[in-house]
Amino acid sequence: MDGSALLAQFEPKPTGKVVEYQRQLFQARISPCGKYLIASGYDATVQRWDISGDEIKPLIPLTGHNAWVQCLAYIPQTERIITADSWGQLAVWSYVDESPTPIWKNDAAHDGWIRAVAASPDGKIIATGGNDFTVRLWSAEDGSLIKELPHPDKVFSLAFHPAGTSLASGDLKGIIRDWDIAAGSVKREFDAKVLYQFDRIQDCGGVRHIAFDAAGKQFVCTGQKTPGGGFSTGFPCALLYDWETGQLIQEMQVGANDDGFAYDALIHPTGFVMATTCAFPGKGFVWLWKPGEDKPFYQSNSIPNGRSISLHPDGRRLALLVSVAPNANGRQLVDGVYQGGSSKIHILEYAPVEASVPANS
Amino acid sequence: MNWQSLKNSALCQPGEHRLSRRRMLGTVAAGAAGLGFSRFLDPAIAEEVRANDKQVILIWLDGGMSQLESWDPKPNTQFGGPFRAIPTSVPGIEVCELLKHTAKQMHHLAVLRSVCTQDNSHSAGVARINRGDPKDRGVVYPFLGSAVAKLLGPTSSGMPPYIWIKPYSGGFKSSDAGFLGAKYGALALGDGKPPENLLLNESISVTDNELRNELRAKFNQRYAVGRRKEWTEANSYVYDLAHTLMSREELFDESTLSDRDRERYGTHELGRHLLLARKMAETGVRFVKVNSYHWDSHGDNFNACDSLIPQFDKPFAALIEDLVERGLMEKVLVIVMSEFGRTPRINSHVGRDHWPEAWSIAMGGAGIKKGIVSGKTNAEGTFVDGPEHDIGHLFHTWFRALGVPPEQMEYDNHGQPLPVANEMCGPVEELLA
Repeated sequence: MDGSALLAQFEPKPTGKVVEYQRQLFQARISPCGKYLIASGYDATVQRWDISGDEIKPLIPLTGHNAWVQCLAYIPQTERIITADSWGQLAVWSYVDESPTPIWKNDAAHDGWIRAVAASPDGKIIATGGNDFTVRLWSAEDGSLIKELPHPDKVFSLAFHPAGTSLASGDLKGIIRDWDIAAGSVKREFDAKVLYQFDRIQDCGGVRHIAFDAAGKQFVCTGQKTPGGGFSTGFPCALLYDWETGQLIQEMQVGANDDGFAYDALIHPTGFVMATTCAFPGKGFVWLWKPGEDKPFYQSNSIPNGRSISLHPDGRRLALLVSVAPNANGRQLVDGVYQGGSSKIHILEYAPVEASVPANS
Repeated sequence: MNWQSLKNSALCQPGEHRLSRRRMLGTVAAGAAGLGFSRFLDPAIAEEVRANDKQVILIWLDGGMSQLESWDPKPNTQFGGPFRAIPTSVPGIEVCELLKHTAKQMHHLAVLRSVCTQDNSHSAGVARINRGDPKDRGVVYPFLGSAVAKLLGPTSSGMPPYIWIKPYSGGFKSSDAGFLGAKYGALALGDGKPPENLLLNESISVTDNELRNELRAKFNQRYAVGRRKEWTEANSYVYDLAHTLMSREELFDESTLSDRDRERYGTHELGRHLLLARKMAETGVRFVKVNSYHWDSHGDNFNACDSLIPQFDKPFAALIEDLVERGLMEKVLVIVMSEFGRTPRINSHVGRDHWPEAWSIAMGGAGIKKGIVSGKTNAEGTFVDGPEHDIGHLFHTWFRALGVPPEQMEYDNHGQPLPVANEMCGPVEELLA
């Protein structure tokens, strides 16, 4: 299928359904059953909505975390979700309960900021990583520690290979490691160093997200090419790799150097990469890129500042989380009140596909 | 950087950075305004001040360090960010976890959390904060380092009174001096390196060098005829400063550093520069300014802080530890500040912008109370809760801490009496020992 045919079939279009939340959110994911939309927040909560009907209904949020809940992941084969916060707390919940409480939690799973969580395809192992230079593997069932993997740098992203024997970890310095889960050792490294730069006196960038295709033949990682400090300028970028050979298939750089980070991406069942980008207000876009082409077949900032994108299992709908947070020096009061940032989750829609849909976390 | 895209931004403009950098690099010649004297309104105090052995180390984190990720954490609040607050060596005082080494030295330090200043741009903020925000009287006031160099003069060590350790270029930077005249500018050590050609060339004997200096003095006398004193005086003064440093080459010899110092201060830029600042203070330099640039985290603030603040934290804690260990903390005033803090609001680029409304300045040492926090912000850290303190209050506080009572002194700018600190302000008494 060429670009124009892909565009005709997969151009995301607003449905008019928008969830508004008064605080900023990091990541919104549609559940494997398709009924729930769950999002992690800067406000230490995990918000839930029922998106199965004509109206989007807010549900009781998951509470009890501290500070930022940057990451979440559904546990395959279950109705459970993992959440983790920046103070080191890890929790597993039944997301279908009316008023969820943690099935188990660990208040000190890591020393500080947990930046990434992932669940194995069989739903038995949870991987976590963050600022304490460690990846930990946990029993998804009861939270017992299975293995501790010292990591050479801060862990920014994690993803299990669909075969379940490997775990990919992305770090601050742009290295992706292929861990043999059984042995607890690194089998090989992938070079994603274009997503890192020591700019003047600051470490900048990092591998912000990793996602495999359903068959486990390829994976995509995201971030910012030649990232800088200060205004954090750099080109949004996704890198697509062949898992078996370890070769970089394509570097997908989009936009200008003030379009921020590519925060999220997935490989669509038909093979194209879908990603979203966020920077200052009005910056960043959603793009769809067929590997082998020299540019995206779709790129739009009609809904800018996308932080995450998630596919519904029906293959037709998408949840696009965007940040609505002004930037300005000084007090900039609105009606005498100092405003914080907020978020919106847009439900988008495109034509159906027949292939199965992978989750990107 | 796509500057074009920033032109319509509500954030700092590219031109401000250029202007600010010009000012900081001191390419604008100062001193033309005249020669500023200082005079004491009470002669008894004058004697006391001149016998003063107080010194200053000012650490300037250019661009603005986030108060929420350092001295005034607001954990688990709307604007609190991802980091934890940790206890310090002073029960009841907490700082951000990124200051884990400094936290152990808190009993030597004081933090003012009620700083509220006037400018949210770099170009205006850098100058105003460094000059103490004096009332506008049509003159350019000196930066704090030049003011101290003027009011207290060199110490008995004979070392230059004002040394500026900074990244990039060095040289003599007269722009800090304002109306005091070029002589009171800063001798800048670019990247902590000594001035070029500091050491005597091996081919020149000591005797030849003395003869050469005599000849230079004669040329200077001839050059001075018919010229303004402040210019000729500054020229020879700079040469004399360099000459003084020639005898202290060991200060710049990194091969003599102990493993302990290398480990605690680090080998990165700010660590090396803070270690050099300690050595300069030990040798008796009256005022040492250490600049670090690129703290302006409009985007990706929390990863920026995660990278930057530890580069300050560990060597700063080592500096305090060493000053205490050497018995210098009682006479060296240490100040940590920027031109402003950073916005509580986290923008869509996960950054914090400029925020002069409510931020923090840390200090310790000479004349400053130990182990206290003064002032506070509201629960979300958006505004000061209680009395606000501008930089003018802090200049009064620091002058008092240094034994220079601002109300007893004034500058004499060609007959124009000028207060040494903004007369609308007074010291923050709670900070004074």
